[in-house]
Amino acid sequence: MDSLRSGAVRSLECELLQAANVSFAYKRHLVLREVSFDLAPGGVLGILGPNGSGKTTLLRLLGGLLRPTAGRIALDGCDLGNIAKATLAQRMAMVPQETHLAFDYSVLEIALMGRYPHLRSFEVEGPEDIELARAALAETDTAMLEQRAFMTLSGGEKQRVVIASALAQFGRRVADSGHRPVEVLLLDEPTASLDLGYQLDVASTLRRLNRDRSTSMVISTHDLNFAASVCDRVVLLRQGRVLAAGPIRDVLRPDTVRALYDVEATVEQHAMTGHMTVVPWARRATTAPNTHEER
Amino acid sequence: MRASRRLLASTDEEAVVAPGNRRWSLRRRLTVALSGFGGLAIITLTVAPLLGPTPIGLGRVFDTSIPFADNVDAQIFFIARLPRALAGALVGASLAVAGVVFQALLRNPLATPFTLGVSAGASLGAMLVITLGVPVAVSGIPAVPIASLLGSLGAAGVVYSMATLRHRGLSTTVLLLAGVTLNSFFSAIIMFVQYSADFTQTFQTVRWLMGNLDVSGFQPIVAALPLTGAAFAMFATLPRALNLLTLGSDSAAARGVDVLRTQRVAFLSASLATGAAVSLSGPIGFIGIVIPHLVRLIVGADHRVVMPASACLGAAFLVGCDVVARTIMAPFELPVGVITALTGGPFFLWLLVRRQ
Amino acid sequence: MTQRFAWFILVAWLSLVDVLHTQTPQRIVSVIPAVTEILFAIGAGPQVVGVGSHDQFPPEITDLPRIGGLIDPDVEAIIALRPDLVVPYATQGDLVTQLERAGIPLFAYTHGTLRDVLTTIRQLGKRTGHATEAAAVARGIEDDLAAIAGAVSGRRRPPTLLVIAREPYSLRNLVASGGSGFQHDMLALAGGHNVLNGATSRAVQVTTEILLQTAPEVVLEVRAEETLSASEIKKEIATWQFLPSLPAVRNSRVIFLTGSDLVIPGPRIAQAIARFALALHPDAPLPTQ
Repeated sequence: MDSLRSGAVRSLECELLQAANVSFAYKRHLVLREVSFDLAPGGVLGILGPNGSGKTTLLRLLGGLLRPTAGRIALDGCDLGNIAKATLAQRMAMVPQETHLAFDYSVLEIALMGRYPHLRSFEVEGPEDIELARAALAETDTAMLEQRAFMTLSGGEKQRVVIASALAQFGRRVADSGHRPVEVLLLDEPTASLDLGYQLDVASTLRRLNRDRSTSMVISTHDLNFAASVCDRVVLLRQGRVLAAGPIRDVLRPDTVRALYDVEATVEQHAMTGHMTVVPWARRATTAPNTHEER
Repeated sequence: MRASRRLLASTDEEAVVAPGNRRWSLRRRLTVALSGFGGLAIITLTVAPLLGPTPIGLGRVFDTSIPFADNVDAQIFFIARLPRALAGALVGASLAVAGVVFQALLRNPLATPFTLGVSAGASLGAMLVITLGVPVAVSGIPAVPIASLLGSLGAAGVVYSMATLRHRGLSTTVLLLAGVTLNSFFSAIIMFVQYSADFTQTFQTVRWLMGNLDVSGFQPIVAALPLTGAAFAMFATLPRALNLLTLGSDSAAARGVDVLRTQRVAFLSASLATGAAVSLSGPIGFIGIVIPHLVRLIVGADHRVVMPASACLGAAFLVGCDVVARTIMAPFELPVGVITALTGGPFFLWLLVRRQ
Repeated sequence: MTQRFAWFILVAWLSLVDVLHTQTPQRIVSVIPAVTEILFAIGAGPQVVGVGSHDQFPPEITDLPRIGGLIDPDVEAIIALRPDLVVPYATQGDLVTQLERAGIPLFAYTHGTLRDVLTTIRQLGKRTGHATEAAAVARGIEDDLAAIAGAVSGRRRPPTLLVIAREPYSLRNLVASGGSGFQHDMLALAGGHNVLNGATSRAVQVTTEILLQTAPEVVLEVRAEETLSASEIKKEIATWQFLPSLPAVRNSRVIFLTGSDLVIPGPRIAQAIARFALALHPDAPLPTQ
């Protein structure tokens, strides 16, 4: 709650993306209750919580795919509902947990799909769009896969290609006017279905994007160590409520981990990486069982 | 054409490369695909009316000195064959593109234009008119095509309202389940109607279900054209959004696609095209699944190329199959659906095996 | 020794079956309309205990039990009637097998040519103990046929298309009589020239191209339903205007006839042929019936 400043005025330094008292219900089932936090430009915010805590729903709300039942989500002070779909898609992109294609496209074609919000109806991607898509692939180290069929890639390669496709949404042509707007990447469990090596690949890609392009990110994950290696701030979510929020060093403590996952854990700084690491060592009796699956 | 030869010659190493994507240029791919498949369609359409069980002289066909009433060659050309070829092109193109759209909408490569009950509804409508002998003919259009069109649109309406009734947006899962259920439900009613009909009527209904392009004149085509035209106008707005829909609806929406609107237009246009085609020719199978996959194997998955290419190849394929159907056992003809299945099925399987 | 004994039993059994077979049947079940009509025409009506569901003629069958039809015969209902002779159609393989297993005597029947109708009448007469009446019926039909043939002899035989079925109010899925079978024979005897003479099958699917190419001068449409109203028939005839260049349409010689006698190869066949002849040759001196 410490990061919520109610009645905050719009400023360039903070509150790029702001959620204020957001609640959401599928039919009558309340999934999120009065969730509030904000994301500063260039920040990486982790949304941590067990399965079914409402992480994915929160991410879909932030991406404008769902409307909050109550509360408000704003991008640069502007209510998400008032931003045109294409405009929003040029500033904010989503990466789902896994991407299954119904039909096989090439890697370059997947990256070019990110150019959709920049094209008028019936407009065909021009050389500039192709260059921007290739640049996005280069940023995620997938340029050499350009000609490959997406379905033949490994899980980690797929995830980095999808991230590139999302980055292509931010690409601006020379003719586009105005300064480069701050961009937000929303990632839903980006490493959940990957093995350790690919997890490291994706984590380093995300860190580099944040460092080199100052891409802002919201990452939902249940993996505390992955979050600790990428995020600077976190929101702990349990059963749709915020347990704690703030800088990762302050928030990630044995008592918060216990409250979040019902496990006893040691939290310490890793000697080599300098990141916080969480080692769970015992299961604690469940106080409130998870009753529903995460959507 | 060159693309197809490369596909057939592809080695294991090349097989992982998506076809048609060496140097990415949509305009070039579209030009190549359209000149190849479009050329094939035009050649087929030109040659088809010249072939048939009766030998006709082209000179006599266009000889205006003979009165039309006495010029059997011209009559056969203009009343029997040309409308038939055009009907084949219209139905083939409609079913092929409807297949592409349904597959993208349901994100299911096994979907066909008939998956969602549209053709079962059309069949039921036709069955009822044939067996009950409803004496309706609206402004010269016979009752059977009208009833089958109403049946198909009715079925589409039921399936659509099922899929939207209790859902935020449109549930493609419910769409698929409702369609499949409606298909078997209608089939049961059709069986009951056939069972209670007398023998001649049962034969007529069975024959209708086999599909038939013998439209005897331009009038049925003209009647179907407004609906088909409307469907194709809607198709034109879809390709890029359908590309993004294959990533999943969330990913598409996050890239700025109006998912619900796209799904609505896709469902409506594909149902309309299928309904119009089935009312013109009866249900002709296999085109809606073989053609889209064949085209994807050759040109890749981009709907901006796949849709026009499928329309052309679907038209060429059905017109060609119809020529075979009416000449192979001349003067008698086989149901064209037999030829589409017998030629399309094995060829498709061969392509699948070759690619692996 | 045992082998010889077995032979003896077999021969004895076979002769017993033969004796049973040649006995005059008293409980006959007829599945096909044509057979029902023949049985009643030759005086075997009182022996008939069950008829097909679609049979309508003669009126005496109204109260008889119905046992299904060509595609859906009800074996249980047939056996329950304890028949000593069943006349199924040749294509009813399952029915034939089941009845044979039940030991019920059968009479094999199939639609054939016009001549076969007369043969069937005589055979059914012998089988049911009405040989004399059957011979008389057959001879009567033969006399009628000869009279019709005489009346139309020497006249020009117009190229004719005999339409059996098509889609309502449309010329699609049109089925016509080919160059064999009783309907072809009926047309020929009535003084018409079947334009589909060359086709060997009994029924032919006719395309627009074949219609135009064969250019019939007369289109003769027959329908079993007697329920069609005059206005419906008028509309069906008007449907042919889709092909205005067809000689039969140009000369207004599209003729629509209804009645079950036209499609059933039974004792009313001479009457049906007379109707054909009258339609084709309105001025021929046909015997009035």
